Amino acid sequence: MIPLEYEIILSAALFVIGLYGVLTRRNGVVVLMSIEILFNAPILNLVAFSAYTNNAAGQMFAFVAIALAAGEAAVGLALFLVLYQAHGTVDVSRLRLLRW
Amino acid sequence: MLEYAWLILALPLISFVVTGVLGRYAGKHVGWITVGSIAGSFVIALVVLLQVLSAGAVGGEYRQVVPGITWLERPGERDFEFNLLIDNLSAWMLVLVSLLSTLIALYSIGYMRDEEGKPRYFAEISLFVAGMLGTVSADNFLQLLIFWEIMGLCSYLLIGFWYHKPEAASAAKKAFLVTRIGDVLFLIGVVAIFVVFGTVEFEGIREGIAAKFGTSLDLRTMTIIPLLLFGGAIGKSAQFPLHVWLPDAMEGPTPVSALIHAATMVKAGVYLVARSFIFLVPVDPGTGSVIDAAVPWNAILFIAIIGGFTAFFAATMALASYDIKRVLAFSTISQLAYMFLGLGAGAWLLAENGGTGGFSAAMFHLTNHAFFKALLFLAAGSVIHAVHTNDMRGMGGLRKRMPVTAWTMLFGCLALAGIPPLSGFWSKDEILAVTFGVGEGNSIFYLLYVLGILTAFMTAFYAFRLWFMTFAGKFRGHQKGHVHESPRVMTVPLMILAGFAISSGLLLLLGVDGTWSNFVFYGEPHRANPFAAISLTVEVGLLALSIAVAFGGLLLAYAVYYRQTIPAERFTRSPIGARLHRLLLNRYYMDRAYDNLAAYGVSGVSRALDWFDRKVIDGIVNRTARGTVRLAAASDWFDRKAIDGAVNALSLSTIRSSFALRKRSTGRVQNYAAVVVLGLTAIILTVLVVRILFR
Repeated sequence: MIPLEYEIILSAALFVIGLYGVLTRRNGVVVLMSIEILFNAPILNLVAFSAYTNNAAGQMFAFVAIALAAGEAAVGLALFLVLYQAHGTVDVSRLRLLRW
Repeated sequence: MLEYAWLILALPLISFVVTGVLGRYAGKHVGWITVGSIAGSFVIALVVLLQVLSAGAVGGEYRQVVPGITWLERPGERDFEFNLLIDNLSAWMLVLVSLLSTLIALYSIGYMRDEEGKPRYFAEISLFVAGMLGTVSADNFLQLLIFWEIMGLCSYLLIGFWYHKPEAASAAKKAFLVTRIGDVLFLIGVVAIFVVFGTVEFEGIREGIAAKFGTSLDLRTMTIIPLLLFGGAIGKSAQFPLHVWLPDAMEGPTPVSALIHAATMVKAGVYLVARSFIFLVPVDPGTGSVIDAAVPWNAILFIAIIGGFTAFFAATMALASYDIKRVLAFSTISQLAYMFLGLGAGAWLLAENGGTGGFSAAMFHLTNHAFFKALLFLAAGSVIHAVHTNDMRGMGGLRKRMPVTAWTMLFGCLALAGIPPLSGFWSKDEILAVTFGVGEGNSIFYLLYVLGILTAFMTAFYAFRLWFMTFAGKFRGHQKGHVHESPRVMTVPLMILAGFAISSGLLLLLGVDGTWSNFVFYGEPHRANPFAAISLTVEVGLLALSIAVAFGGLLLAYAVYYRQTIPAERFTRSPIGARLHRLLLNRYYMDRAYDNLAAYGVSGVSRALDWFDRKVIDGIVNRTARGTVRLAAASDWFDRKAIDGAVNALSLSTIRSSFALRKRSTGRVQNYAAVVVLGLTAIILTVLVVRILFR
């Protein structure tokens, strides 16, 4: 049995790596991928605590979250596709329409 | 019971309003409205007089206050009332004034026939008559002062009737300003009376003197008050040193000179002094005897001296004047001065031994003088009307062409000169006799008697100088053909007045047993013989002296101006005579001195006031203005710097902070995400810290 601490540390590492990717990558697709990594951290938490507490509800939530993440990735990719068609780039540092 | 006496005042007032407002529609007949209403006043005054006579005024005192309106109520004190006083003196004065006014207004219709502005003239005459009638019937000093001022106003307006003539305008101004000096003294006197006695009514004052003398009233106050009142009389009656206005007042129309400046208004001063006998000879109403300690001997003496001196002084100036009206004006001053001398001597006599001779002689002279001087003025007016000049050097020989004027004026001159048995003789002689009689008490009166006798001599001389220069000899002017007798409306008043001038002296005959004296003297009944103080031989001697000087003056004038046995040039050519003549012609240089005094004094004062104005007042104003400007600048600075500054600073800082803050919304998604992360972290940390601290 893998100790819970390892799993939580792994989950935290995944979260931080994902966060780093979100905040630093300029390519929008990479940012989306980093979000996927970041997403996996709580999912892993859910699974880990589900195993630790012998409660299958956590694994159920994990599946739901994976399904939602897939949907979200699809929507995100579609947005970037449209952005690319409109602006010719997916560089998030150049897409500054949310400015004042 | 005498309420209808108010009509005496009301009729001229109604005439004033009617002629003043509606007069221009009456055309040339406007004068008859005035004559009619004043004649109505005369008739009513006559009825009042008869009623007063029948009610026991002869040989006794009659006194009735006709209630009018309460002017000012003063709880606990005597109210200010507006009443008529009808007593022996005022009843007589009302008749005298209204009679003369009627005759002179009648004469005016002829004299002013061709003048512009007749409604104005007759309206002012009406108002004047109302003022004079009000003055002599007032029952308190305040009311008297009010009517007195109305007269002064009318005098001003009528002297300046021909206001487009600069001499007339300046003469009117001079008359008004010079009499004002006296009026101010009078006003101060009235205020002093009110302060001392708490009332201005004659009766209240009489009681007040008896009640207060020795406690809150001393002899000094008793001396000052009548002197202040006398100040008013000096101004109004043109006595030295305020006599200068009367000769100049002759610029007005001649009927005005006759009415205001000979017969009535100038007599108001005499009337005022007669009324102030309540101060000069204070009588205790309880016992009826004179309060000896309260008699202001100095004030009495002052009045007598001013009278005696002015009589002499004015007569000398009449000797040299060539203006027919000015001779009469100086003569008026001189004759009024006789009345003041008579009142002064009379007050002394009354205070000393109860004799009323002086008082009644003065009032008698007032009556006689009113008749003969009005006559003289109207006759002079008739002459001026014919020859169109005032200068006697341009007249002469008018007797044949103007017989009525010449003969009536002769009677006027005889009366003025004091030739018996015409009116002037009786009253003037009585005044002189009383003055001589009082000389025993104070020898200054002997000196005044000498002045009076000299004046009598000069009076006879200048009166006949005037008559001979005007009516005798050859005509010295031009346009002889135009000279003609005046119309009947002018000669009839002349004849009536001549009748009075001849006969009014006979009123003395009524006084053989003292009834005349009693009649005009208000106050305690008495039966004193006017000449009680003098022995018979002295009296006869005085009488002879009076007659002698009157005839002496007449004969001298006859010799100089008719026969020309002693030509006047012989006098004026001698060096002393020439100097004297020049001095008299220039009226002792007093007018010029007053002018210079006024010019330098007034300009000095006004220059000082101008300096004060420019330096002090303007300085204050300017400094205030400058201060205000500075205050405004400070306020402006504060506004701009502090208030605007605060507002601007607020907005500026808002703008700056917004500029700074909008940099934060970069539009970069990652920045927002970083902020979200940082915020979340901060919230989590805060929650943790709070949890740990407040567990």
